[in-house]
Amino acid sequence: MDIPYTVTARPDTGLYNAKVGIWLFLASEVMLFGGLFSSYIFLRVGADYPWPVHELNVTLGFINTLVLIGSSVTVLLAWASLKLRRIGAYKLYMLITVLCAATFMVNKTFEYKAKFEHYSVTLTDGTILTGHLPHGYSLEFGDVKTLNLTVAGKTSAVDADPVKYVLPYVKGDVPKFRTEAGEEITLDAASFAKLKAEAHAKAVEKAKAEQLKEVPNWSVKLTAAAPLTFSVPPSKLLAKPAPGATMIAFRDGTSVEGRMINDKMTLEVDGVDLRATPDKEKSLAWNEHYLGSAWKKAFIEQRDHAIAEFNEKYGDGKGGTTRDPNKSATHQKHQFFMHLHSAKPESHGADGAHKAEAHAPAGHGEAHASHHPEVQLERKDVQFFSNFTPKLNSYYAIYFTLTGLHGMHVVAGALVLAYFLVCNGRMLREDPERLANRVEVGGLFWHFVDLVWIFLFPLLYLL
Amino acid sequence: MADSPQEIQKAVRKILWIGAILIVFTVITVALSYVELPSHSWNLIVGMIVATFKAALVALVFMHLNHEAKLIYKILAFTTVFALAIFLLIYFTSLDPLEFARF
Repeated sequence: MDIPYTVTARPDTGLYNAKVGIWLFLASEVMLFGGLFSSYIFLRVGADYPWPVHELNVTLGFINTLVLIGSSVTVLLAWASLKLRRIGAYKLYMLITVLCAATFMVNKTFEYKAKFEHYSVTLTDGTILTGHLPHGYSLEFGDVKTLNLTVAGKTSAVDADPVKYVLPYVKGDVPKFRTEAGEEITLDAASFAKLKAEAHAKAVEKAKAEQLKEVPNWSVKLTAAAPLTFSVPPSKLLAKPAPGATMIAFRDGTSVEGRMINDKMTLEVDGVDLRATPDKEKSLAWNEHYLGSAWKKAFIEQRDHAIAEFNEKYGDGKGGTTRDPNKSATHQKHQFFMHLHSAKPESHGADGAHKAEAHAPAGHGEAHASHHPEVQLERKDVQFFSNFTPKLNSYYAIYFTLTGLHGMHVVAGALVLAYFLVCNGRMLREDPERLANRVEVGGLFWHFVDLVWIFLFPLLYLL
Repeated sequence: MADSPQEIQKAVRKILWIGAILIVFTVITVALSYVELPSHSWNLIVGMIVATFKAALVALVFMHLNHEAKLIYKILAFTTVFALAIFLLIYFTSLDPLEFARF
């Protein structure tokens, strides 16, 4: 049976059916994005920090805007060409539209990737350092002689599984282990399953002998043939160890005793954010073993310069200003934020020698390492760290929600348009008018995606 | 929608013009965001006015809402009411949380 009114209009609505359908769908889409834009406003109004302005890559966002507008135009041209039966032009415009969508998504991938690789570290005094972790972040914990496993008595989420949760973090070769019975084993899935079964059997026996209601947990000790050193990201541990901890526990409950060799975080600093630091001149960032007084001087210069410039521009001649400095986004930025573009601060006059040193080629290793100062942050000074993902703050939470959902719409729209182009060859020959209506409806969705971006671009990138 | 070849040709010219206008206004949006208005709220208001203007062009011309069947306006009337309701919720942010605490 043919679907009615795919080409001609239904007399009572005056529209072909698909058009009513797409508009009903778009009406619900307006509500979906409306709700998210509304939450954007709530989050922004409630934010206790200056909302990021021009923090994302504006050039990339701008290019993506042009790409989407361009594709909105080409999808209409494709429709018009099909109406005029210019089949070659129709195919070309559709192809350009789909390629624009692909370009948009590739740009988005670059943007997201940069965010995933960029880190923000909050120090205990509220100072935020941003930058890259050239080696990731792992704790080095050594002098470990035994693994203390806990085989759960009943089915439990935390049950010893050292093969999966402990051994991957051993530095170097994994040595053999000796069991409590004195047997020497290579720890792998098979040998551990046997060990676990034995431990469980002992626990069951004990429960029977002592008439316990539940089978107890059973500890198993494995002694390593040679001392172990672990290199493990803190997220792979059951709990964050305190600075200088002598015991760490893995996520399967296995605990080990030893010595913290290194728990410092190496960060290539590209920005200092002092908006939450009570005394900006006494920030931990200016400690000599971190950024040091030269950068502090640079920050104070930048801030005082910004204040002087603001007062000069908007001074009312009576010592006050005609504008509220707290309501100027750029002024706030200069007061609280500093971007670091070189390994050492740009020095003036007599300190010129430093500058040359800072820009001296590294010779070996990564070339970009010389563009930013590298600091070794001590664990006791770090309160929180995260890459630029929804976890970081509500701005990035709403940024990823909105752009992620929009990105999925781009992909969906492009798939539909690509389907018309690739799979509707027969309809193109036999019923081009119907295909033209399909393209029009797909185009309506595509324009809606463009329309959402028209709001997203200024709200997230510019304002 | 336009159906005769002449009308379609005319529509194409219009589409190209609107596309160009949208690009120009995108440049304007970016440029305006770097201008220091008396307070940042002004940047936001101006930016949103420009964005709304652009969105209106897309909706009216590209999505041909400037001449559409009645049924579609009826559907959109519902959305408009509910979307406005969602945005009016923002009014609550202006209330003092201490006032809420009295409940």
